[in-house]
Amino acid sequence: MQKILLIAVVALIGFSSCKKEKNTPAVTVTEKTDSLRVNFSATSTFTFFNFKNGTVVPNSDSATNKWDIGLRFTTFLVNSGASGPGNAGAILQNVIYSSVTEAPATGYGIDTTNSQRAIKDGSWYIYTPATRSFSPRAGQTFFFRTADNYYVKFELLATDYEPFVGPFPSKLIYRFRYTYQANGSRQFN
Amino acid sequence: MKNLLLGISLVFCSAETALAQSSSKLQDTTNLEEVVITATRTEKSIGDIPVPIQVISREFIRQTGSQKLVDILQQQTGVVLADNPLGQALQGYPNPFGSGIQLQGLDPAYTLILVDGEPLTGRNAGILNMGRVAIGNIRQIEIVKGPATSLFGSDALAGVINIITDKPEKKEGDVQLHHASNNTWGITAGKGFSRKKLNVQAFANRLSSSGYDLDRSIYGKTSDAFYNYSGAVKADYQFSEKTSLRSSFRIFHQRQFNNYLVFTGTEPDPVSGTTIERDWSFNNQLTHQFNDKATLFVRLYATGYQNNARVYFDKNDQLYDRSYLEQQLIKPEIQFDWGKGKNGKWISGAGAFFETIDASRYTQQRSFNAYYVFTQKEWLWKNKFNLTIGARFDKHQLFASQFNPKVAMAWKVNSKLRLTGSIGTGFKAPDFRQQFLAFNNTVVGYSLIGAAELSGQLQQMQQLGQIASTIDISPFTQPRSLLAEQSVGINFGAKYQINQGIKIEANFFRNDIRNLIERYNLPFTRTNGQAIFSYINLNRVFTTGGDISFHHRITARMRWQVGYQYLEARDKDVVRKIRNNELVQRDPFPPFNSRFTTMADYGGLFNRSRHSGNLMLFYNYPQQQLEFSTRLVYRGRFGFVDRNGNDVLDNDAEYAKGYVLAHFTVTKQFGKFFAVQTGIENFLNYTDPVTLPSLPGRTMFVNLNYTLH
Repeated sequence: MQKILLIAVVALIGFSSCKKEKNTPAVTVTEKTDSLRVNFSATSTFTFFNFKNGTVVPNSDSATNKWDIGLRFTTFLVNSGASGPGNAGAILQNVIYSSVTEAPATGYGIDTTNSQRAIKDGSWYIYTPATRSFSPRAGQTFFFRTADNYYVKFELLATDYEPFVGPFPSKLIYRFRYTYQANGSRQFN
Repeated sequence: MKNLLLGISLVFCSAETALAQSSSKLQDTTNLEEVVITATRTEKSIGDIPVPIQVISREFIRQTGSQKLVDILQQQTGVVLADNPLGQALQGYPNPFGSGIQLQGLDPAYTLILVDGEPLTGRNAGILNMGRVAIGNIRQIEIVKGPATSLFGSDALAGVINIITDKPEKKEGDVQLHHASNNTWGITAGKGFSRKKLNVQAFANRLSSSGYDLDRSIYGKTSDAFYNYSGAVKADYQFSEKTSLRSSFRIFHQRQFNNYLVFTGTEPDPVSGTTIERDWSFNNQLTHQFNDKATLFVRLYATGYQNNARVYFDKNDQLYDRSYLEQQLIKPEIQFDWGKGKNGKWISGAGAFFETIDASRYTQQRSFNAYYVFTQKEWLWKNKFNLTIGARFDKHQLFASQFNPKVAMAWKVNSKLRLTGSIGTGFKAPDFRQQFLAFNNTVVGYSLIGAAELSGQLQQMQQLGQIASTIDISPFTQPRSLLAEQSVGINFGAKYQINQGIKIEANFFRNDIRNLIERYNLPFTRTNGQAIFSYINLNRVFTTGGDISFHHRITARMRWQVGYQYLEARDKDVVRKIRNNELVQRDPFPPFNSRFTTMADYGGLFNRSRHSGNLMLFYNYPQQQLEFSTRLVYRGRFGFVDRNGNDVLDNDAEYAKGYVLAHFTVTKQFGKFFAVQTGIENFLNYTDPVTLPSLPGRTMFVNLNYTLH
């Protein structure tokens, strides 16, 4: 009796471990924290970013699929429509980043025209005159569809001025964290 | 110390004050005999007033030796000096807004400031520069807390501060010389004349200072150099036993020197110039007593305020910026009192406001008229109960008519204990700034636009390319008008006179305000990256708390007092969001975790201290003609700026530290006519250039008083 029980237990363990091995997907999501140096001027160049490689894309590649989002001043571009040849899109939602497990299936806005962009300028920050700071609203998550149809959840953590002299700073440092799903699904865990 | 020694060779104190020293000491603790006027618009003993009232006597002002009204006010329990948050925004640049008085947790704009019962005009961002009121001729200051709109109309939501100046009567002349740190010099002279039916009181003052700099790494001073002149003449003429006329004229003129950096090109440019501030008022009251019951007052009040600033480039003397504000008010009023003696009166009145304002920050000159009637009746039962009911109706051109009632009760339980309770409503008219401002800050580059101007200004800015053509301004181009802010205030108080030497006073308050006009930033910016602000009726807030004060005369020579105020001031909409788990905060430091704000995190409205208080000790040696006073003022930590992404005070990093101001004064009388006074203000040298630019560090002063005989 004891023997049978033991076998059963061993078998169970064997089965369950077997099952686990079989279903554990390759690690395709990684959370990264990064920062971007962005021009604090509404007329200068954008800083372009690629989520897959986590790198800044040179401005010479602005007409390609190599970038996913662009940042200048407090303006977001996504690589689509009037902004680029890609299929990028964005949704800004009032949800806490860490509680998000899946990107929305539909509802991604694109940069239809230069005055109608996926992320409305002014929608994501609180301006505080006392410190002249644009601080990202807490409890917001950006969902991006990349230029080549992968999904990203994205949270702005801070936007600080690069140290400057006088009342007009020239650079904003955007700090953010994001999770890129490399397998093409909308799941983040 | 050098300053101190230098000054001692100068200063004095009058015979009047010498007499006051001996006689008024007892009054300070028992002051049942003090007569006040503000709470009921009739002269009444303070012991008969059914609402919270504090009186600052001439004696207290003299003992402090201070030349600054705000310093004297903020030494009172529940009276907090608050810097304007927009002034803080311009840190390093001239702060045109200064600091004002916060009563019961409400901003300075919600306290009406009166001189001899009539309002001062010329508020900048809701704050009235108290430096316009000289101290030397103040007889007493009455601070009524809680709404007083039923008697005084707009702005009296948090309360009224009435600065009452000397009565015209025969009085010896006084001269005072004042010298203090920061190269501050003052000279004051006053005299009363009497001739048959005419009594005249005259007063003059000059004050100058080199200002101070709290942060030398920023070009320019934190507070710039200035000089000013004040003058006042008040006259009574007794036509007959029943008819008299009182006329007074006061004037203030100040020149302040400005020097700061502007960034018009790639290199910073120093600019300098002056700000000239002028203020005058002409106050007339004809009193006719028909019989021992009926009295008629006919009043005509006119006042004006001008602020004119010009700044030029240092390199080529070209005009860089010019701004001005001119405001005039004419206010006729009649008041009829019915009733014998000081108690049980029925008062009624009617009046009008004719006001005009013109400013560089407005698109054109604006004027408006308002009319009002008010009445108040008092009932007394057996000298134990007092019931006062009053109401006022205001008809304004710019917004809906306002009706504001108030009920107040007092009950003398026994010879020691007195209870009071009152409930009243108040309103604050949307001010000109909130309606008509069209201001582009040239230094920092932001825009602040009044609600009525928003539509036109946005369209104009977009046409000029100051707003990107891609931005959709249409949600903000509908005509918008602001409503008056309205409040309900409740006060319960108790006064317990344990014996001749010990008195305890407490008051609990709650104010509920709706339609609060808030500055908000539009969801887009100018092309220079700076924000655009306007005004909107947005929030519902409440302030609640209590203050308690304890006065103790230990011996004939020594007395002390302590006061404390507890305050909670909250935004009801924020409270609702927190309860519904709708408000998220993100830690302002790595790893920047987000979570829901809880009620325990919520610190209420910015710029309010939950705890504030004071501790004072007075000591005198009559045989040496020496007096000492020590005054400590405490202000607990207060919310300064949002740092965690939700515009709500809910993180320790968002507070400015609490602080203690310690002041000492010594007065020495030499014979009947001379007195020397010396003291140290802010002994602990607490400063904060960011959150408290209006507070200089430690300063020392010497006063030399002389009575002409």
